[in-house]
Amino acid sequence: MPPGLDNLKHIVVLMMENRSFDHMLGSLKAVNPLVDGITAADPYGNPDTTGNVVKPQPLAQFQAQLQPDPDHHFPAVDLQIFGGDTSANRVANMQGFVKSYFNQQQDVGHSQKIMYYFAQNQLPVLTTLALEFAVFNRWFASIPGPTICNRAFAHYGTSFGRVDMNLLYVNEPFQSIYSRLINATPKHTSKLYYYDTTSSTMEVTNLLQNEPQLFGTYDQFLDDCSKGNLPDYSFIEPNYSDHEGDSGEEVANDQHPDHNVQAGELFIASIYKAVKDSPLWPNTALLVVYDEHGGIYDHVVPPACPPDQFTASPNDTGTGMSFAFDRLGVRVPAILISPWIPAGTVVNRVFDHASIPATITKFFLGDYSPRSPRETSADVFIEPDAGQVDPARNLLSLDTMRTDCPDFDV
Amino acid sequence: MPLISVPRPSDGAFEPNRPVSALLKAQIEYLHVAERRLPLRYHTDIYINAIKTEGEAAEYIRAVTEAIHDAHADAAARRSRPAKRTGVIEIAAVADERAERRRASKTKSKKRSAQRRSRPSGGKPGAKK
Repeated sequence: MPPGLDNLKHIVVLMMENRSFDHMLGSLKAVNPLVDGITAADPYGNPDTTGNVVKPQPLAQFQAQLQPDPDHHFPAVDLQIFGGDTSANRVANMQGFVKSYFNQQQDVGHSQKIMYYFAQNQLPVLTTLALEFAVFNRWFASIPGPTICNRAFAHYGTSFGRVDMNLLYVNEPFQSIYSRLINATPKHTSKLYYYDTTSSTMEVTNLLQNEPQLFGTYDQFLDDCSKGNLPDYSFIEPNYSDHEGDSGEEVANDQHPDHNVQAGELFIASIYKAVKDSPLWPNTALLVVYDEHGGIYDHVVPPACPPDQFTASPNDTGTGMSFAFDRLGVRVPAILISPWIPAGTVVNRVFDHASIPATITKFFLGDYSPRSPRETSADVFIEPDAGQVDPARNLLSLDTMRTDCPDFDV
Repeated sequence: MPLISVPRPSDGAFEPNRPVSALLKAQIEYLHVAERRLPLRYHTDIYINAIKTEGEAAEYIRAVTEAIHDAHADAAARRSRPAKRTGVIEIAAVADERAERRRASKTKSKKRSAQRRSRPSGGKPGAKK
């Protein structure tokens, strides 16, 4: 067994909000050509409603640029991916982002801002982590739709047929990854950490209502890290709102437009630092990932995937067409962090959020059934802790732990 | 590797009067459904249709999240109490008393029967011969 996997005892997932890969990490192509981002020389662009081609440009701002919140519900994402083609033989082309944003304000100039991305030096935390550890070139949202159904894939490996923000009723037999772990024999430990009770969780319908003991706060996460008490699997939610907290003003750090992107950078750095300064650093892998693209441009066409066992009706999708969960959503940033990962690792295999419960289940529990068809077919980002390990797939591949990992002043 | 500086958000970043997003609206609706399932004593008095800003949303989200935790904690506390032993003892005591009364009653009735059997026929209890 490679020492990185042999030492791995804890997996932490931090899921941020609503930013596409190109928007956050596209600039890295100029630094590392293996990163499938964007440069000025690339032919990518989108037509605006006057017929002019709008190129991606490094003009993104931390706040007050993407107002109103770009539409990322199912019909809008369908337009963004297919450019407005609704024919039977249509081909995804990523040509509808500017059109979609124009629909919200009928302002040609404003609609072009959906193509903007951040320069590398604007996002020192995310870009450093991407360059220093493993960045995924093909991590997609699970559904071409909004937050709740995409986050459901991270918790359950399916959205139980939902493509929208409506209440998600959990159908047996697909258990949450947390229930699988805590009910296993031998037992495993698992926790969801929301930022504070004032921000709370997006997983209300099942987990908070029925199993509130699964939840902790960001402060508890920091404490658990420093004391070496992390559960086997942790899922972290950011702060979803600007609010008065017990210690004063709390700025939303989820990076959901129009929340401040720098606040999210600080938050990511604080999570990384808590893990890195923990006695569990040699035994922990941290995945930073975004739930969906938030309506913001990305140039990579989401691939088809094996269907789930559910079908969303034409009425549910709002497009007049049914959806068999057989295509992934738009590409999002994803970075795997561990002192056993070589700097500059770029992963080209395809992942989506169903890969999260798939990986956690296979690593901690081995074979497990039942799981959704989408989860069963999803790739894993950490190889199972059993049997032969394919060196080409193992990202925690170093023989000795790195001592040159980055530090942030948080 | 040198320490990497992380810029802080500007002073104007905090904006609790920002209108609630579709995401926060959805979160409020989920919590409202959860709130309605709680016993009445845990309900907030916040009217969710009047929530317009992130700050207002946050107040409601906090209130219901705490209420859910409180309701579960109270239920767990009730479960962990020593199984209402006082009540059981009281019930047992009552049962014992009843049994005693029944036994006493049976004894009395046996005595009365015996007295009746030993009493000469036609006479009334206590009647002078």
